Amino acid sequence: MTIRHHPSDETLLRYAAGRLAPAPGRVVATHLHGCPACRERVRVFEAVGGAVLDGMSPVPVVPHALARALAAIDAGPAGRATSLEGSSTPAHGAARTAPPLLPDGIVLPAPLRDCAMGPWRWAGFGVRASALTLPEDPKASLLLLRVAPGRRLPEHGHSGLEFTQILSGSFSDAFGRYQPGDLTEMGAEVEHQPVVDPDGPCICLTALEGGVLFTGSIGRLIQPFLRL
Amino acid sequence: MLDDAAIPAGAELDRLILAIAATGDRQAFAHLFKHFAPRLKAFLLKSGMPPGAAEEIAQETMLAVWRKASYFDPERAGASTWIFTICRNLRIDHLRRDRGVFVSDEAIPEEADESPDGEQLFMAAEREAEVRRALQGLSAEQAAVVRLSFFNDKAHSEIASELGLPLGTVKSRVRLALNRLRTLLDEQK
Repeated sequence: MTIRHHPSDETLLRYAAGRLAPAPGRVVATHLHGCPACRERVRVFEAVGGAVLDGMSPVPVVPHALARALAAIDAGPAGRATSLEGSSTPAHGAARTAPPLLPDGIVLPAPLRDCAMGPWRWAGFGVRASALTLPEDPKASLLLLRVAPGRRLPEHGHSGLEFTQILSGSFSDAFGRYQPGDLTEMGAEVEHQPVVDPDGPCICLTALEGGVLFTGSIGRLIQPFLRL
Repeated sequence: MLDDAAIPAGAELDRLILAIAATGDRQAFAHLFKHFAPRLKAFLLKSGMPPGAAEEIAQETMLAVWRKASYFDPERAGASTWIFTICRNLRIDHLRRDRGVFVSDEAIPEEADESPDGEQLFMAAEREAEVRRALQGLSAEQAAVVRLSFFNDKAHSEIASELGLPLGTVKSRVRLALNRLRTLLDEQK
């Protein structure tokens, strides 16, 4: 799987800084899961964060902060973690029963497995949609979309950044062709008209930044799925 | 021993965390605390946290450093970077609690680091040295734009007001600063 479309450096920096909202953050996390190059970029930006932290002019902490910390360590039930308890990685509730299947036998990507998947509903224009509920932000709008082969979505814009990660199938717009593993980031100023390639349906994960609206007729069909 | 003037170098900070992991070295923890707690507090204040919360998250971060010291791997990230990611996650967790959403500490992704075995990892020390050299190669304004991205959610509009620039200008400056950073990093390869 050759990944051709990646998040912008700005998006990866914001992800590394912990500044991306939960829904766009999950779209980026899904991309990172399959993209070693972007994982390395995130590590670079985390190192930038380390350098920024190191470069801060110290602000005095309260006088007994260290004594309090040492007391908390002495009293702490956990002490130092010595087992694998709290080990970092299988963060997204990995150890579950079989992961939920999406249409066409696609497995929900690992970074989404702790999300509740809503029912698949017809939205028109050959689109079915399912809303994912994020445990960390139940009001966030994160959508799975399945678009039938060959369908042309109405041209649309959005009032914030749109992040879309392709899970299966492919689509094209004036800016390129997007295949599984690719992430597209569409700026607010950009209007685009995605067309799903004819050889199969396209399933993608999409989030809009902020409580923003799709413009154009697609707005009416997608809006009911967004918790705005 | 705990002289504020002596700023330990990266490798020395790494060694202090490893000493906590190996022997529960409280003296090492005290050194780390002196170095990082005031910087964490400054970082969190700059992020817009009220002083009480900044103090609390700085404290929580240092306690997590003690608890998680055995997971610290200097080949993956240097001390400052590792502590930055802990603080970042605790800050997110804190904001969620404020919104009434409870997600346990352990459920928060430490980082999207699922590198399969054999993935070509750059050595952390090398990466960090490159990053610091590249940051020094940025103009003062470009460095400020990159730094501010760590402090602001609505990166563009707040950077615009902080630097007194029009919004459109900031968007292109952020892009230019990051392009420059990428160029400087690529040149070192």
